[in-house]
Amino acid sequence: MEASLAWLDDPTVFRVGKLPARSDHTVYESASAYRNGSQRLRQSLDGTWGFHYGETPQHRTPAFFEPKNQVARQNFTSIQVPGHIQLQGFGQIQYINTLYPWDGQVYRRPPMIDEDETSYPGIFSEASDNPVGEYTRTFEVPEYFTNRTVRLQFEGVEQAMYVWVNGHFVGYSEDSFSRAEFDITSYLVPGENFLAVAVYKLSTAAFLEDQDMFRFSGIFRSVWLEASALVDIQDVSFVPTVTDNLGKVTGTVAVQHAGLIDARLEAVVIGPDNQVVATTQRPLANDDVIFELSVPEVQVWSHQSPILYEMQLTIRAADGTELAFVPYRIGFRTLSVTAEQQIQLNGRRLFLNGVNRHEWHPSRGRALTVADMAEDVALFKKFHINAVRTSHYPNQMAWYFMMDEAGVYVMAETNLESHGTWQKMGAVEPSVNVPGSHKSWREVVLDRARSNYEQFKNHVSILFWSLGNESYAGENIAAMNALYKEHDKTRLTHYEGVFHNRQFNAVISDVESRMYASPADILAYLQQKPVKPYLNCEFMHSMGNSVGGFDEYMALYNQSPAYTGGFVWDYVDQALWQHDAITGEQVLSYGGDFNDRHSDYEFSGNGLFFADRQPKPALQEVAYYYEQFDN
Amino acid sequence: MNNLTTKPLRIVYGDGVLGVHHRAVSYLFSYERGGLESLRFGGQEWLYRGPKPAFWRATTDNDRGNGFSRRSAQWLGADQFSTVTNFVVSVDQQTIGQPIAPQNNHYDDQQFATTVTIVFTYTTATEPQTTVDISYTVMPAGKLQVTAHYTGRKGLPELPVFGLRFVTPTPLQGYTYTGLSGETYPDRWRGGEVGTYDIAGMPITPYLVPQEMGMHIKTDSVVLKNLAQQGLRIEKLAQPFAFSVLPFSPLELEAATHLNELPPVRRGVVSILGAVRGVGGIDSWGADVQPAYRVSGEQNHQVQFLITPLAAERID
Repeated sequence: MEASLAWLDDPTVFRVGKLPARSDHTVYESASAYRNGSQRLRQSLDGTWGFHYGETPQHRTPAFFEPKNQVARQNFTSIQVPGHIQLQGFGQIQYINTLYPWDGQVYRRPPMIDEDETSYPGIFSEASDNPVGEYTRTFEVPEYFTNRTVRLQFEGVEQAMYVWVNGHFVGYSEDSFSRAEFDITSYLVPGENFLAVAVYKLSTAAFLEDQDMFRFSGIFRSVWLEASALVDIQDVSFVPTVTDNLGKVTGTVAVQHAGLIDARLEAVVIGPDNQVVATTQRPLANDDVIFELSVPEVQVWSHQSPILYEMQLTIRAADGTELAFVPYRIGFRTLSVTAEQQIQLNGRRLFLNGVNRHEWHPSRGRALTVADMAEDVALFKKFHINAVRTSHYPNQMAWYFMMDEAGVYVMAETNLESHGTWQKMGAVEPSVNVPGSHKSWREVVLDRARSNYEQFKNHVSILFWSLGNESYAGENIAAMNALYKEHDKTRLTHYEGVFHNRQFNAVISDVESRMYASPADILAYLQQKPVKPYLNCEFMHSMGNSVGGFDEYMALYNQSPAYTGGFVWDYVDQALWQHDAITGEQVLSYGGDFNDRHSDYEFSGNGLFFADRQPKPALQEVAYYYEQFDN
Repeated sequence: MNNLTTKPLRIVYGDGVLGVHHRAVSYLFSYERGGLESLRFGGQEWLYRGPKPAFWRATTDNDRGNGFSRRSAQWLGADQFSTVTNFVVSVDQQTIGQPIAPQNNHYDDQQFATTVTIVFTYTTATEPQTTVDISYTVMPAGKLQVTAHYTGRKGLPELPVFGLRFVTPTPLQGYTYTGLSGETYPDRWRGGEVGTYDIAGMPITPYLVPQEMGMHIKTDSVVLKNLAQQGLRIEKLAQPFAFSVLPFSPLELEAATHLNELPPVRRGVVSILGAVRGVGGIDSWGADVQPAYRVSGEQNHQVQFLITPLAAERID
């Protein structure tokens, strides 16, 4: 297959050669390898890569992906992976909120709306504002990778990428914040291999990734080479339930070519005291292997008591040899809605004392390290934050495991925001809204929902699937809602945008979600026999010296059983360290400070914390109230 | 000379300045500049610029977003340009009017009193105009009682703050206050714990765009500490007050788009306030501060406090 630049212009092309989304489990060769911390199946490709920056698609380097074509790469320099291209000296840093980043520079309308299949060829592939980053590196394939399926994994690449291995085109991927995986087994050679990636800053995905944030591009999360174990455990699904004190977990394990091997699956549940509390065996079949385990006297998971159990899956050959091992920490809990529209966790009222959190660091942007994330977890704990909305995209995989362990309730948001297609200068004007109900924009948003679900479906901390942010409402978002509902009976769906288009109220969102509603407006809803539980997906805009009147929101807990609280906007200022030549100081800079135009300037900074994690004074008030309400 | 007097305050009836001298502290009130010009003890001057009515606070992001600064822009001018239009002096509670030349020709250098009060009336640079009376009473023990009274007037917009603001000649070394922990505003204080808090220096809060910061409402007392280890105790009378101690004036904060644009720290800016607008937070693009936390320009406001000089050895 040949790569086509025209895919950048076509919303119906968003994954080519990309493996289906699957769970975020880690496979080990054996239980002992896991216990010893020996992981030979995963190899990091992070580090220094070759790099070339082209101002436009027409400045790309033909044949840069050919392994032996050194001449083509004679102008290449280097770049760090993971990292944003714009924070490493190439191109323009820009912060903008709702308008598209090209507003006033390039005229654009979303293509293929009104069932027009041909509109705007070249809208991105021949655009003056669409730089390309061309990445290259070599890697060695260990000998023990032979006869295993080898996947190339990108945890996050913004915004559209083409991948070649040893000169062969492997695939194309959009969706900046979900993992992209390619099966490269057949392209590998013994010894040195050559990997090439072209990353475009813009594609039709840009219409769906109009989040209120700095606009970057590049490989900003880790890249991995992953070999399968001797059998390939492709996907695991654990659905824990609780009835009275009895826990049950239904497991579904997808194993490739299992029927060819005389082997069995052993499933074990390890309790919080490190004791085996349940175990079972199943023969491998060609289809999914399904099992059910019971855990009597189960201890439920919650914010105060984030008790986890460990599922351990072992594939064992007939002679007893371990062929693969997967550990995965699960939790047991119930989530329900009462007749008076109260959300309950484990039969007790749920209080969402939450924050919206952009992944952000003042030097690294959205390329967070594990230490950065651990610092945020510690700050959540210190200031009694018990819930987080992953505004407005799937976060790094490690974050969800941390939330399980810390007992933080997660609203897991799909990577979707098309704000600039329907709200302009504050007014609702959805004439060119996508995804809307347009056929050509349906599969791409369903794919984003599927990726979010499949990747994170096993995390006990996720209570809500969020369909996205500020994208108006139409049949396509209703289809996303249906997708989540079809796959998952243990969580609630969330979407705020139906507020602006109530005809979809019955088919979008299990909760009545609003942003920046006044306490009086919320009370008015709550007093009119609410048909859905109420929550604030965004409230209390912590821009500068703010967060006055927090007590009035907290008082709503006592005024209505259907009030669930919500998520302060937001956790941390989006600001970047910039050197000031006059004072010699490092200064936290915001939109417009990079001569980025159009910009929304200081609107990038609405955190309860400054960008360097120094708490703002308002946190005293937030922590005081958040500590008082806990289920 | 007149060693027989038991009155502790010596008054100097100058041609432009009324001097009130206690054994340990001297106050100079300027008729021309309008107000308390000097507060000196132990050889140290405490005032670079004496107290003036404070109406403005540096615009917050929420103020900008909801149009408050536009609606109330008059108070920015009033904060800068209001002037004294009258003053009246009382000695031992007897009004003596304005003791300027030639009336003061009959005084000498042996004028003593138990209390001296001088009231300055400011006329605001607003439309319509209104007045603020600042009353200073030097007490027998050398303490200074201060009352600032704002007369509400129909048609005047909501106030950012009301109270007094003065500037110290050098940065302050720190301050100790009894009130609520952290920074507090009328709509954001319930998380504060009552206590006595030592603050080193004059910390600022590094908002991306410099703005109003550092307020402490419901304060019983604050002791300012200068570089000479002296203290100036300011304590409530009748009602608690709000205060901030910052290295920058509201206008300096207002003018900066980033922290690095603020001037080098040369002085301390002390605001003692009787009314403070809330900060709001429902959103930053239109929602006003809730009604209870707005400061009406049509109603009266007042702040009253007692200043006690503390010699270096008494600061703790």
